[in-house]
Amino acid sequence: MKKNPLWKVLNGIGLLILITIFALPFVWMISTSFKTLGETMVFPPKWIPDTLLWENFSKAWNSGPFLKYFFNSTIVALGILVLQFLTIIPAAYAFARYKFKGSNFFFGVTMVTLMIPTQLIFLPVYLQMSAWGLLDSLWALILPFASSAFGIFLLRQSFKQVPEELLEAARLDQASEWQIIMRIMVPMAKPVLITFAMFSFIAHWNDYFWPLVMTTTDASRTLPLGISKLREVDGGVAWNILMAGNLILVVPILFVFFFAQRQIIRAFVYTGVK
Amino acid sequence: MSLGKARPYLMIFPAILVFTLFFIYPIGYMIYLSFHDWNFISPDKNYVGFNNFTALLQDAKFMQVLRNTFIYSALTVSLTISISLLLALWLNRKGAMYGFVQGAIFSPHIISLVSISMLWMWLMDTDYGLLNWFLNLFGISNVPWLTNPKTSLLSLIIVAVWKGIGYYTLIFIAGLQSIPKDIYEAAALDDTSKVRTFFKLTLPMLSPTLFFLTIIGLIGSFQVFETISIMTGGGPINSTNTIVYYIYENGFRFFKIGYASTAGVLLLGIIGVFTILYFRLLSRKVHYQ
Amino acid sequence: MAEIRLENVVKRFNEDEVVKNLNLTIADGSFTVIVGPSGCGKSTTLRMIAGLESPTSGDIWIGDQCVTNVEPGKRNIAMVFQNYALYPTMTVRKNIEFGLVNKKVPKAEREALIQEISDIVGLTEHLDKKPQQLSGGQRQRVALARAMVKKPKVFILDEPLSNLDAKLRGQMRRELIQLHKRLGTTFIYVTHDQVEAMSMGDQIILLDQGVVQQVDSPMNMYHDPNNVFTAEFIGTPAMNILERERLEIFLPSLMDRVRHVGFKPEHAHISAEMEKMSDHLVMKSEIITTETLGAETIYTVMNQAGTMNIKSFTEPITDTQKVYIAIPFDQLYFFDENEKRIRATEDYMEAPMPAMVGGA
Repeated sequence: MKKNPLWKVLNGIGLLILITIFALPFVWMISTSFKTLGETMVFPPKWIPDTLLWENFSKAWNSGPFLKYFFNSTIVALGILVLQFLTIIPAAYAFARYKFKGSNFFFGVTMVTLMIPTQLIFLPVYLQMSAWGLLDSLWALILPFASSAFGIFLLRQSFKQVPEELLEAARLDQASEWQIIMRIMVPMAKPVLITFAMFSFIAHWNDYFWPLVMTTTDASRTLPLGISKLREVDGGVAWNILMAGNLILVVPILFVFFFAQRQIIRAFVYTGVK
Repeated sequence: MSLGKARPYLMIFPAILVFTLFFIYPIGYMIYLSFHDWNFISPDKNYVGFNNFTALLQDAKFMQVLRNTFIYSALTVSLTISISLLLALWLNRKGAMYGFVQGAIFSPHIISLVSISMLWMWLMDTDYGLLNWFLNLFGISNVPWLTNPKTSLLSLIIVAVWKGIGYYTLIFIAGLQSIPKDIYEAAALDDTSKVRTFFKLTLPMLSPTLFFLTIIGLIGSFQVFETISIMTGGGPINSTNTIVYYIYENGFRFFKIGYASTAGVLLLGIIGVFTILYFRLLSRKVHYQ
Repeated sequence: MAEIRLENVVKRFNEDEVVKNLNLTIADGSFTVIVGPSGCGKSTTLRMIAGLESPTSGDIWIGDQCVTNVEPGKRNIAMVFQNYALYPTMTVRKNIEFGLVNKKVPKAEREALIQEISDIVGLTEHLDKKPQQLSGGQRQRVALARAMVKKPKVFILDEPLSNLDAKLRGQMRRELIQLHKRLGTTFIYVTHDQVEAMSMGDQIILLDQGVVQQVDSPMNMYHDPNNVFTAEFIGTPAMNILERERLEIFLPSLMDRVRHVGFKPEHAHISAEMEKMSDHLVMKSEIITTETLGAETIYTVMNQAGTMNIKSFTEPITDTQKVYIAIPFDQLYFFDENEKRIRATEDYMEAPMPAMVGGA
C-alpha cells in the first residue's frame, strides 16, 4: 500500500472527494449569497455570478433588527458562560476535594441532569418562566443554563488530579480556601476551562431551539432566530438574501475555527471521550 | 475553615439550585401535567388520570411520529457510525493533509443548525438545487427531496449524517490513538492479517467508544427538532414529524399542554431505558478492558 | 523559644491507631530526625505538628502556646514536602512570594526577602522560570526557599530527599546540615532512611507502629540501643540478632532471662585460620556471599547459630569458604523476652565467659 503509486493516486482522489462533500455546500452558500434573485433560478446552476452583489448582505442585515439580535446573542452566550464559571468552579471543587454527607447524592443529581436534554423539558420550563413573568426576556435564555453538569464533571476530574500536597503547602502558606481555588486550582485547570468555554459558547451562540420557545418579540430574539426569519422575507424564498444572512452567522465561527481549530476540535472531542 | 461543615454545601448550592429549578422540578411538573387536561389559558387543570396516555397510544398520528422517530434515529446512528468508523481508519494518519481533511469534515459540527438546515434546503431544492443538478449529470431526474413524503425523512437523515460524521470520526480517531501501539506490533510479529487485526484487536478495543457514540447518537437523534422545524415543518403529510416536534406542536400550536407533557414523559422513559441499558452493557464491558 | 512538645498524643484513622500515646520533646534549635519503617506513624506525627492532621486526643505545644486547634498557616511552621508541592502555574519567584503575600508583607520587603533567600540557595538566575523547567535539585531548592522565606520558628521536612538520585542526595544532605547551622531554627526531619537520620540529626526519634522506640543522639542510638528494634534498624548492615537457643553451646553461662544475643557486623573478626582468642566468641562458619565495596567487605556467613553479616576492613578472603569468626565478649548485646536490652553484666551472665570454640 505504501509503495504502489496507484494507491497513492486513489488515496488522493478519495481525500479530494471527501473535502468536496464537506466544503462544496459552503462554496455554494458563498456563491449564492452574491447572486441576483434571477441567477438563483438558473438551471443548470451558475457557479460564479456575473456581478458580486454585496447589497445582499446589507439587505439581509437590514431586514430585521440584526444589531439587536447580535447584541442579544452575545449577552446570552457570554452571560451563560460567566454564570457557569461562577457555579461550576466551587461545585467542582467541593465534589473533588471535600468529604461531606450527601455528596454522592448531590453528585448523582448533577449527573442525572447531564442525561436530561433541554429539548425534553422545555414545556414545563416554559410554563415556569411564564409564571415568573420571565418569558420573552434574556433571563429565560440564560438562567436555565447558569450551571452545567458537564462542566462540573470535567472540572472535578481535573481538580482531583491536583496532588493533596499542593493544597497542604498552600494552607501552610496561610492561603484561604478561596485563594487556593483562585490562585492554584483554577490556574492549573486552565486548559480544561478554556475547552469548556469554547464548547459552551459555540453551543449557545448557535442555539435555535431554546430562543424559539422562550421568546416572542424581537427585543429578546437572538441571531439564529433572526436568520431563520429571513425565510419570510417578501413572500417567496429569496435564496440569495437567505444565504447572505447565513453567511453572516457562519463566517465568524468558521473564522475562529480556522485559527483555533486544534483547541475547538479538542474541546468537542474531549466532551466525547471524557 | 471558619465556615466549617457548611462550606461544601454552600459551594455546591448555586449549581444544585439551577439543576433543581430547571431540570429536576420541571420533570416532576411535566409528569404532573401528563395526568391533567389543560389548555394553558384556563385557570383549571382537570385531573384525567391515564387518559392522556391511552389517548396518545391510540392516536394514529402519534404512532406515525414514533415510527418516524425510530426510523430516523436508527438510520442516522447506524449510518453515521459505520461511515465515520471507516473514515477514522482511513484518516487516522499524521500529516498536514490529513489534519486539514479532519478539520474540513468536522466543520459542520460547529455551525448553527439553522444555517445547516437552510443550506441543505437550498441544496435539496427540487428545481434549482445543486444536489439534483449533480444527479442530472448521472442521468437521474430531479428528486423532490423535501416535498415528497417518500424521501423527506431520508433527506433529513442525510443532513444529520453529513453534520455528525466529522465529530464521530474524530472521536473514533481519538479512540484509535488510545490503543497501545505495542499490541499491533505483537500482532504483526504473529503474522496476523489486516482484517483479522481489525476484528480481533481494533474493534474490541474500540468497543467502549462505539457504545458511547451509539448511546449519545440515539439520545441526540430522539430530540431532533431544528432541521424539521426549518426544513419541513413536520410534513409533508406528517412524514417527518418526530417526538420533540410533536410536543412542540401540541404545546405551542394546539395548547394541549397535558397531551404534550404525556409525549414528553414517554420520551423521557425511552431515553431512560436506553441510558440504563448503556450503563448495564458498559458495566459488563468493564472487566473486558 | 520554639521547643515543641507532644503530650499524650493519639491519632486514630477509623479503627487504626496510628500514633499511640506519644510524648515527645523536641528541643529548640535542634535538628531532630523522626525515623522509622513505612507505616510507623512518623508522617502522621509530622503532619500533626504542622496542623495538617489534628490529633484524636492529646495536645501539641510550640513554645508556650498550645497549637492543637490552631490552623496550619498560623503556626509559624514551614514545610518541605516529599514531592516539593511547588505551585506549577507560578514562577519560582511567585512560589516563594505566595506565603508572604498571604501574610500581607509589603512589596519592598518581599522583594528584599526573595533576593536574600534565593542568593542563599542559589536560585537567583532561575527566579522567573516555572518549576517544570527546573531539575530535581533545583526544585528542591525552591521548596527550601519557599519554606525559609517565611522565617518560621520550625522547619518541617517530610522525606525531602527521597526523589533525588544518590549523588545529589548526599550533596543536599550536607547543604541541609549547613543550612540548619546557619539558621539556628528547629528542624524536624522525617525519613525512613537510617543513614540520613544518623548523618544529619543531632537527635533521633525512632518510631515503630506508633510507639517511640528510642530517643537519642545518633551515636547513642548506634552504641547503646534500647531494644532489638533499634539494634536492627540502625547501622549498615544492622546488628545481627541471634536466638539464645542456638548459641547455648557457645555461651553456656547465660542467665535464663536472656532471649536474644546481638553483635555488630563490624565488631566481628573474620579469618581463614582458627586463632585462639580469649574473651571472644568464636564460631566456625561458611561464607555464603561476599560483597566487596572497596574500603570494606561484607560477608554473609552461616554457622550453627544462623546466618549473619560480617563487615571487614581487611582484604577480602577469596581462597576459601571455610572461615572462623570471632566476636569480643564485651561487644555482645543481650535482650530479654520483650526484646528489651539487658545492660548490667550481672543481669545476663552467671559466671565469667570462658574462651570457647564451636565446630560447624
